[in-house]
Amino acid sequence: MSSNPVLEVKNLVKRFPSSKRDSKGKGFVVAVDGISFSVKEGEIVGLLGPNGAGKTSTIQMLLGVLSPTSGSISYFGKDFARNREEILGQVNFCSSYIRLPWSMTVFENMDVAARLYGVKNRKERIAKLLAIFEIEAFSNKSVASLSAGQLMRTVLAKSFINYPRVLLLDEPTASLDQDVADRVREFLEKERKDFNMSMLLTSHNMREVEKLCDRVIFLNKGKILEIGTPEKLAAKLQTAKVELWIEKNEQKASKLFKKLRLKVEKEGKYTRVEVKEKEVANFLVVLGQNGVDYREINIDRPDLEDFFLKAAREGKNV
Amino acid sequence: MFNFGIVMAVIVRHLYNFRHNLDRIFDSFYWPAMDILLFGFTSVFIMQRSGNIPQLVTVLLSGLILWTIVWRGQYEITVNLLEEFWNQNLVNLFASPLRVREWILAVFILGFAKMFIAVGFSAFLAYVIFKANVFVLSFWLIPFMVSLLLTGWAFGLLVGGLIVYYGHKIQVLAWSGIFIIVPFSGVYYPISTLPKFAQKVAMFLPTSYIFEGMRSIIFKGVFDFKSLYISLSLDGVLIALGIMFFVFMFNKSKEKGLARLE
Repeated sequence: MSSNPVLEVKNLVKRFPSSKRDSKGKGFVVAVDGISFSVKEGEIVGLLGPNGAGKTSTIQMLLGVLSPTSGSISYFGKDFARNREEILGQVNFCSSYIRLPWSMTVFENMDVAARLYGVKNRKERIAKLLAIFEIEAFSNKSVASLSAGQLMRTVLAKSFINYPRVLLLDEPTASLDQDVADRVREFLEKERKDFNMSMLLTSHNMREVEKLCDRVIFLNKGKILEIGTPEKLAAKLQTAKVELWIEKNEQKASKLFKKLRLKVEKEGKYTRVEVKEKEVANFLVVLGQNGVDYREINIDRPDLEDFFLKAAREGKNV
Repeated sequence: MFNFGIVMAVIVRHLYNFRHNLDRIFDSFYWPAMDILLFGFTSVFIMQRSGNIPQLVTVLLSGLILWTIVWRGQYEITVNLLEEFWNQNLVNLFASPLRVREWILAVFILGFAKMFIAVGFSAFLAYVIFKANVFVLSFWLIPFMVSLLLTGWAFGLLVGGLIVYYGHKIQVLAWSGIFIIVPFSGVYYPISTLPKFAQKVAMFLPTSYIFEGMRSIIFKGVFDFKSLYISLSLDGVLIALGIMFFVFMFNKSKEKGLARLE
């Protein structure tokens, strides 16, 4: 991975006019509130956040289909607003929410995309992508007749048509079954490795983000809450989940958890207790000292999903 | 100024759509055929009853065929724009290197080609069924067609500008918008038939000079070149206004986001 940023966003703001006025008399909704970040060459960055966090508005501004209120976007060291056509020729996108002209066939859609991006040897490029995404059999079928998974693979294939240097992916595996989703993830990793492609990815699949992303930007209410590697963000939580199948003295255990002010969840025969990661050993000793016997124990370190849930619920830095 | 490969991409996209879409084929042949039959038989009936209106069939059918040019010019712009809304394809297009001016040029070219098909088909039907020959206008037909097509494009861009900002809720204008100028254009009757205020409105419409000219050629065999000059000058103003308005509204729409239109 090179240290050169291929995408730089500075103080990006998007305000939508609103008829409702707040207590300060402002008549607009802030979708994106002064965010700054960069994506390096060959880097995969995750853009995470709950619904309404500003992810989609950010991606739309990065594609030039939504004008920012203020701030700047530059790709490859060039201002996006001034070099739109040159830049968009090297960028592409894929979204699980995007559709294609439904009456046209898969091939026709790919052909139009190839022409829009000025791809040379169109037929060869289309044939290669159809083979990679295993949609050759549907080449002459209309988009309207495709299943959700086949459509998503077509949209993905289209997003690679122009050998993009930067790819913006909005939940790319949302409607794919596990097997195809795995292969798509492998393909994305391979493209990054082979062509040093950079990607900005939004996803609700935290395992996917952990697997693919070098860094994660966490947005909430239009602001960046955190930027870091998935591991570093998860480590910020500092709490582990200790899952126990308590065999003896369950009531005593409950009193003890209450006394220690620990967060407890019951699920069937299992009791899940949130304990600070560095205090897990002490916690187990205390259980033993109080005569609480357990038959099974499972200790989960905090992961990105825990971070996501906590940050989304609390809406502030974790 | 233009990337013609990209212009071609938009044209190819609509040609593919035309191939698969029965209603677009219907638009090009069914309605023009119905119009010719309806107006043709109506004028034949009037001729048989009154018998003293010379060239009635040719005048009405030539008016209808020339009006098709204006309508086609507007319709191609507004309906091709709506096609992108209906197909949720607006973001696919404008997140690519496609520029608004290239999209406009592409729909101009499409409108020009489809106008030839529709007008050629209507003229053929009018001649075969009613012996009405629009080519009686001889070489004047070419500048007439140019002027009328420019008017259609200009109104297409003005209506398209509204649609690109307000979206589906005003999509009815895509089909009907241009008809606001029909009463003032004198398509089937002389401008002198109109009340005074309407005659003043007609003065500012390039179409009124062309349809007056058409009748002048059919009835008297003469046409005042000055009328063509005024018509083309008005077209120049309208097309410049149309382009500016469309680009302005497109950029205003981007402030709200193009994705909302899909």
